[in-house]
Amino acid sequence: MTAISRKKRIRYNRSETQAAWLCLLPSVIGLTCITYLPMIASFALSLFSWNGLGDMKYIGLENYIRLFTRDTKFYGSLLTTLEYAGISVIGSIIYSMIIAMLLNRKVPARGFFRAVFYLPYVLPALAVYLGWKWLYDYNHGLFNYLIKLGGGTSVKFLDSSAMVTPSLALIAVWLSGNLIVIFLAGLQNVPRTYHEAAEIDGANAWQRFWKITIPCMTPIIFYNLLMSLVSNLQVITPALSLTQGGPGTGSYFMCFMLYTQAFKSHKYGYGSAIAVILFLIIAVFTGILFATSKSWIFYEGDDKE
Amino acid sequence: MSVETMKVSRGGHLASKSRREKTADILCFLLLILLGLIVLFPIYWIFRSSLMSNGELYAYPPAFVPPAWRLENYSETLKSFEYLKFLGNTMTILLPAVFGAVVTATMGGYAFARLRFRGKKLLFTLCVGSMLLPSMVTLIPLFIGWSKLGLVNTYWPLILPHFCGGGAFNIFLIRQFVKTVPRELDEAATIDGCGYFRILVYIIVPAIKAAMIVVGLLKFIELWNDLLQQVTYITRRDRYTLALGLNIFRGSFNDDWSSIMCATCLSFIPGIVFYLIGQRYFVEGIVMTGMKN
Repeated sequence: MTAISRKKRIRYNRSETQAAWLCLLPSVIGLTCITYLPMIASFALSLFSWNGLGDMKYIGLENYIRLFTRDTKFYGSLLTTLEYAGISVIGSIIYSMIIAMLLNRKVPARGFFRAVFYLPYVLPALAVYLGWKWLYDYNHGLFNYLIKLGGGTSVKFLDSSAMVTPSLALIAVWLSGNLIVIFLAGLQNVPRTYHEAAEIDGANAWQRFWKITIPCMTPIIFYNLLMSLVSNLQVITPALSLTQGGPGTGSYFMCFMLYTQAFKSHKYGYGSAIAVILFLIIAVFTGILFATSKSWIFYEGDDKE
Repeated sequence: MSVETMKVSRGGHLASKSRREKTADILCFLLLILLGLIVLFPIYWIFRSSLMSNGELYAYPPAFVPPAWRLENYSETLKSFEYLKFLGNTMTILLPAVFGAVVTATMGGYAFARLRFRGKKLLFTLCVGSMLLPSMVTLIPLFIGWSKLGLVNTYWPLILPHFCGGGAFNIFLIRQFVKTVPRELDEAATIDGCGYFRILVYIIVPAIKAAMIVVGLLKFIELWNDLLQQVTYITRRDRYTLALGLNIFRGSFNDDWSSIMCATCLSFIPGIVFYLIGQRYFVEGIVMTGMKN
């Protein structure tokens, strides 16, 4: 009790406090004016009908009701977004984990390889998508040439509503070099002694991978999973640059729908309602991840599991 | 005698183990080469397409090496693709924005790592929490705000936000680095009469230079790729960035893949150059963060 009250009476040094707030002033302005206030404004705006010029009209939950009951494209958009996020998150986590494991071995020219796998990430997104559009070309693209060479029939990668999402997600996997670097940093922190001890006990490489590497990496897998989920659910660039949402609702991602409704049709209230739903979806996913994290994340020095 | 045999057998075991490891290493190396080639191949294919004529591109089977190096494709493309102007516009946005992000993130990271003040925990939670908030949710209100200020179609909406802390992740990254700087250095400087800002400038900044470069590069890549903000705020053609310019160029040269690939390769260049300059710091920086706490 006394300890607590003593703790509460920490005397903050006045000049230190002043310096701190001065240093944090830009961040505080940023957090208020470009993060939290606009977020609240989005929630408020979603209850109105507004075209940006005339009067704002309060319509309650009408925007949401319209989305869920009358908008024919909304469910397509929702499913497309989830499909894209699912494929690209799982794909890029597995891909970058494998590359990181390979790079973690004693191989020559490691720095060079690291640079190679990271390279796609630093290229400008729009140019990347344009380049891939050419690779995916139905008549003259590289992939269809290879497929025909192998005896298959040409695939409409970007021009069929079933293939467009997986095709775009594959580009996202190719772009995920930043995850490799983070995984690699994590792998280098796995204590060597664990592996050596297990080896003496006769564990083979496969067992060591599942019983040592993976558990030690769970915090980093969690971080990468979380971050790539949040960013991939907000996918918009490929739709904006290549497919314009099509064909059908094949790449009509939620963010693209939001953008189109707000900035092409000038339905700011309706767009905000989509933003709020997107926010809730991301909140649910991060909630699930955090809630389950205790059962599968291993922290060093933690006794249970 | 028995000791002798044991030694031999143990030696034999170790030798076979290290031989196994060697084979595994070689296999991994070969696998890396294969995967590396697969990853690089799209880039090579784009580059090779930029050096060929459209007739050659549409030929079947496609040539893996350009029959002739048509470098004139580039001078031809540059006539209609205002590369230097778009690049200039892009840099007008990027350079101040990156500068602002690095400076304000460093200030914020320093305060969170070193200074004690009331409300720090709450502020830090709000800051880290904002990493999980989808930025799309703020798009419409921010656009309305900027247009109320009459600043749509200027570069301000693309630059000014980055002078506001430079993003939660970057503040966090700087904080982690500042924490690795020994406190004794600060204390020594305090005894010598340095204030908090002079400690920041003379002690902290030199010690975390690598992290600041990483933040700059991350910001550079992020903005470079951020088509959405550019599409939203810039509609005047003379203000177009490289990405917007490339998009419009693609639209007007619909099936002229040779020119489009030239323009694509041209817009790869700045990214590759910056990456080559910063690569060393980059990997070092991420590795040093170590994702601890």
